Amino acid sequence: MDESTVARVAKVSRLDLTEDELRRYSADLQEILEAFAVLDEAPGADGLGLDPVPVEDQLRDDVPRPWGDASVLRDLMRAQDDGRVRGPRVQ
Amino acid sequence: MSAFQDIERADSGHAAFAERVRDPIAFDEPHGFHFSAKDNLCAIGFQARAGSRILEGYRPPFDAAPVERLRRAGGLLVGKTNMDEFGFGSFSTTSAFGVPRNPFDRERCCGGSSGGAAAAACLIPGHLALGVSTGGSISCPAAFCGVYGLTPTYGRVSRYGLIDYGTSLDKVGILSREAGDLRTYLPVISGPDERDPTSLAQPELDMSGSVSSVAVPRGALSVSDDVKRAFASALESLRSSGVEVAEVDMPSLRFAVPAYYVLATSEASTNLARYCGMRFGVMNDRFDQSFNTFFSQVRSSQFGDEAKRRVLLGTFSRMVGFRDKYYMKALQARQLIIREYESVFQDFDAVLTPTMPFLPPRFDEISKMRPLESYQADFLTVPPNLSGLPHLSMPCGYSGGLPIGMQAVAPHWREGRLVSMAEAWSSRFQLKLPEASS
Repeated sequence: MDESTVARVAKVSRLDLTEDELRRYSADLQEILEAFAVLDEAPGADGLGLDPVPVEDQLRDDVPRPWGDASVLRDLMRAQDDGRVRGPRVQ
Repeated sequence: MSAFQDIERADSGHAAFAERVRDPIAFDEPHGFHFSAKDNLCAIGFQARAGSRILEGYRPPFDAAPVERLRRAGGLLVGKTNMDEFGFGSFSTTSAFGVPRNPFDRERCCGGSSGGAAAAACLIPGHLALGVSTGGSISCPAAFCGVYGLTPTYGRVSRYGLIDYGTSLDKVGILSREAGDLRTYLPVISGPDERDPTSLAQPELDMSGSVSSVAVPRGALSVSDDVKRAFASALESLRSSGVEVAEVDMPSLRFAVPAYYVLATSEASTNLARYCGMRFGVMNDRFDQSFNTFFSQVRSSQFGDEAKRRVLLGTFSRMVGFRDKYYMKALQARQLIIREYESVFQDFDAVLTPTMPFLPPRFDEISKMRPLESYQADFLTVPPNLSGLPHLSMPCGYSGGLPIGMQAVAPHWREGRLVSMAEAWSSRFQLKLPEASS
C-alpha cells in the first residue's frame, strides 16, 4: 500500500490528506494488509451471507402516515418562521 | 450520595458522559430507574455525535428504538455516554469529546468503544447503561471497568436510531453492575421492530436455559499472566460448582480479526459517506465550490485520525481488483467461523475465554501502540461479534486492584443461557467496586 495507492483511495473517499497523513497511513495500512494476508489461507466456505444470521426482506404496505412529533422536528430547525421552516438563500 | 451526585462524579472525575442532564430537580420526581445511552444512539433532548466532531450540533428529533422502549418502561435517560469516534477503537481514546477514565485508575482507559457506558455502569449505583458492540465494544469496556456486559444476538434489538458503524455487525446491549439487570431489561429492549428489518428475523426471546458445560479454545490463552491466573481460578470455581470445562481446537478463529476489520471498515466506509457537510451536524457554508471539494473539505477537517484510517482501509478492501482478495474472502471466513462455533455448540453450552488479553492499559501505553497492535488486542471479542453470536463479559478477578473479565458465547438467540450464567456467577463471585464508589 504505497503512498500513490493511498492517495488514490483517499480521493475516492473524499479525503484530502496532508503529506504527513499520507506517509503515516501508507505505513499503517501496509502493515495491516500484510498481517491480513492470512485470509489467503482460509478455506472457502458455502455461502456468502451478508448478515451473520439469515435475514429475509419483509415489505410492508406503502401507506402514508404521520411520522413522530413534527413540533420536535420544527423546534430543532435553525431557521423557522411562523411554524414554517426557512431554507437557505439560493446564491 | 444522590443519583445526581453520582452522575456528576462519573462525569467530572471520569468523563463518562458526552452530554448529561444538568438539572438535579429531575431526580426529585419518583422514577422507575435511570439509564444512559451510548452517544451513537439517538435520543430526543440530547445531541447525537457518536464521538465525532462531524456530528457536532446534530440533535435528532426522535428516540432510537431501545431508548424509546426503556423510557416507555419508566426509565429516565440521564445522558449520552462517551465513546470512540463512531465506535472506532478499543480504548475510548478516539472521542472528540474527552477521554473516559477508568473507575479503578484514572491513568488507565475504560476500554472501548462503549467506554463511557462501562464507567457509568460501574460508578453509578442502580444505573443501566445502553452500549453498542460492533467488534467487542460492550465486552471490552465491561471487562476493563469490572461490570457485566451483555451483547445480544445480531438482530435481537432494533437498531432504529443507531448511528451505523458496520451494518452487518452492530448490536445494542446492556452494561450494569448487577447481573439481575440483564434479566430485567433485555426483554424490554428486545423484539421485532418494522423500522429495522434485521430485527424481524428473530424468534421469541427465551430467557430460560443454563450453562453446564463450557469449551475453552486453546488459542484463547495467549494472554498476560495476570489474566491467565484470574481466568484459571474462575475455571476452577466453575468446575467446583459442577460446570464441565474442556479445551477445544477452533482453528478458524485466527481468521477472525482480519475478516472482521475488512468487513467492518468496508461497511463503515460506505456508512460514513453520508457525512458530507450537508445533512447532519457540521455544515460548510462555502456554497461556491464544486460538490467534491465541498465534501472533501468538511470530511478532512472533521473526521479524526482513526476514522480516516478506517475509511481508507474499507474503501481499499472494496475496490475493483482487491474485492475478491479481501472483502469476499472475509465474508467466507465469517461463514467458516460460524460453522466452527456451531460444531462446538453440539457438545457444549457455551464457549468461554478471557475477555481481553491484558489489564486495562495506561494512556501512555496506548499512545505507543501501532494501529495493528490495537486491532489484534480484539482477538477474543471479535469472533462472536463477527458471527452475530450473543456473548457476555463477566468480572472474574482482580490484579493490582484492576478488574479482569471473562467472556461466554452462546448459540444464536440463546441469550437466556448467558443471563442464567451471569446470575449463577454473581452469587459466587465477590464484585469489587472502585474505592471512591459506594
